[in-house]
Amino acid sequence: MRSISRKIRKLTADLLDVPQDVVFDLPRMTMIGNRQLYIENHRGVLHFTSDRLRLALSKGELEVGGSELVIRAIWTEEVFIEGQIDHIQLHGQGEGSK
Amino acid sequence: MNLKWLQALQGVVTVSIRGERQEELVNEVTRQKIVLSGIRRVGGRELECEVTVGDFFRLRPHLKRTGCRIHVKHRRGLPFWLRKLERRKFFAAGLFLFFAGLYILSSLVWSIEVKGNEKLTKDQIMQAARAEGVYPFQWSFRMKELDAISKHLVAKLPGVSWIGVDRQGTKVTIEVVESTTPPPLPLYSPRHLVASVDAVVTEVKAEKGKPVVAKNRKVKQGDILISGIIGNDGNTKTVVAKGDVLGLVWHVYEIESPLSQKIKVYTGESKTKWHLLLGNRTLQIWGFEKPEFERYESVETQHQLAWRNWTLPLGRVKERLMEVREDVRKLTEEEARETGILEAKAAVLEKAGKDARIVEQNILHEKTENGKVYMKVFFEVEQSIAKERAIVQMQGE
Repeated sequence: MRSISRKIRKLTADLLDVPQDVVFDLPRMTMIGNRQLYIENHRGVLHFTSDRLRLALSKGELEVGGSELVIRAIWTEEVFIEGQIDHIQLHGQGEGSK
Repeated sequence: MNLKWLQALQGVVTVSIRGERQEELVNEVTRQKIVLSGIRRVGGRELECEVTVGDFFRLRPHLKRTGCRIHVKHRRGLPFWLRKLERRKFFAAGLFLFFAGLYILSSLVWSIEVKGNEKLTKDQIMQAARAEGVYPFQWSFRMKELDAISKHLVAKLPGVSWIGVDRQGTKVTIEVVESTTPPPLPLYSPRHLVASVDAVVTEVKAEKGKPVVAKNRKVKQGDILISGIIGNDGNTKTVVAKGDVLGLVWHVYEIESPLSQKIKVYTGESKTKWHLLLGNRTLQIWGFEKPEFERYESVETQHQLAWRNWTLPLGRVKERLMEVREDVRKLTEEEARETGILEAKAAVLEKAGKDARIVEQNILHEKTENGKVYMKVFFEVEQSIAKERAIVQMQGE
């Protein structure tokens, strides 16, 4: 049942050319160089130190590595990170259609 | 961490969070729409962040649930600043007094300027303005509307056609435009207009007074033309007679006109001298040798250095000396007569005045003798014959 609804959603997304993040509840990240990172659609902070930040996503989690990380602002669905960002990793995202 | 002005208005505290489940606290708090900003890890186990005062109090219930403890490190913003001010009462009072003083002093009228008055004195205008409530050290908010003041001032001051009152800050400018009155008429004593010469009246134009003569009347010198005494017997009044009377006047001229005429002629010989012009002085710099001719006329042309409207006191003067020769020209009798009459006419018109008009001319007698033409010419001229004569009141009359 769920896979059918997902298929329909994907179809509409393809058909209407709607961005994927809107349809599938995926995180959208805006990065300015390695200094600023703006993440939409997160599900809370799992772990935060000055060199590592783990965020929960609707599916899986996101890991930001770097140094002197600071959460400039945090809202229910958005987070704004500043600092020197070295890498971003996505875990357990799986395939979009799973 | 720059504070946004809105946050600064609300007041911001910097807190440090200690405890095990800090991330959980952050998530929970975020869900309650409490905004934490600038979250940073300090010393490995502590979190530091900024939170507005309002949110700080909403934050506290969540602490227990997540087992965290909070500690305020800095307070910034208006509420804290005000509390500080409360403790420094005299400083606050001073601050208030300073601004109040500034306001009070700037709402005083400090100076009044009067412009454009010529006949009226400044004191007169200032006095009138004072009566209207415009004077130095007056509260500017106690002054009436500016256009009302200017209206009242115009009514109060004599000989004024417009007054503009303008206030700029602490300065009031009163601009006066005085009305131009015609100069007073010169005073005359009562008078008659009498005939200046014997004549036949052709026109009487009386502006004031009683015309005594009519057209075609013959008048003698001294006869009253326009009387300055008006009214009937027993009820008379003297006035200044005004007007003009035209009459025909006879002039007889004896003319002698020579049959030869001397004429000046340029021979074409000339010599040039140059002068340097310095201010009002000239200095000759060229052409010092004497001219070879005796009779000459000199023509000077002056050139001055100038730029736009400014003339420099520097220049050169060119002087041309031109030789003159005197020739004698023979005239026919007819030509001599004509020139004689022309000269006589000019003399008549000069004597009779500008508005005079020659009505008739007649050669009465003519003879040629000793290289001259002698003539007696009669002119009839229409001219103004009125002359003023003061009325002298006789005692006992």
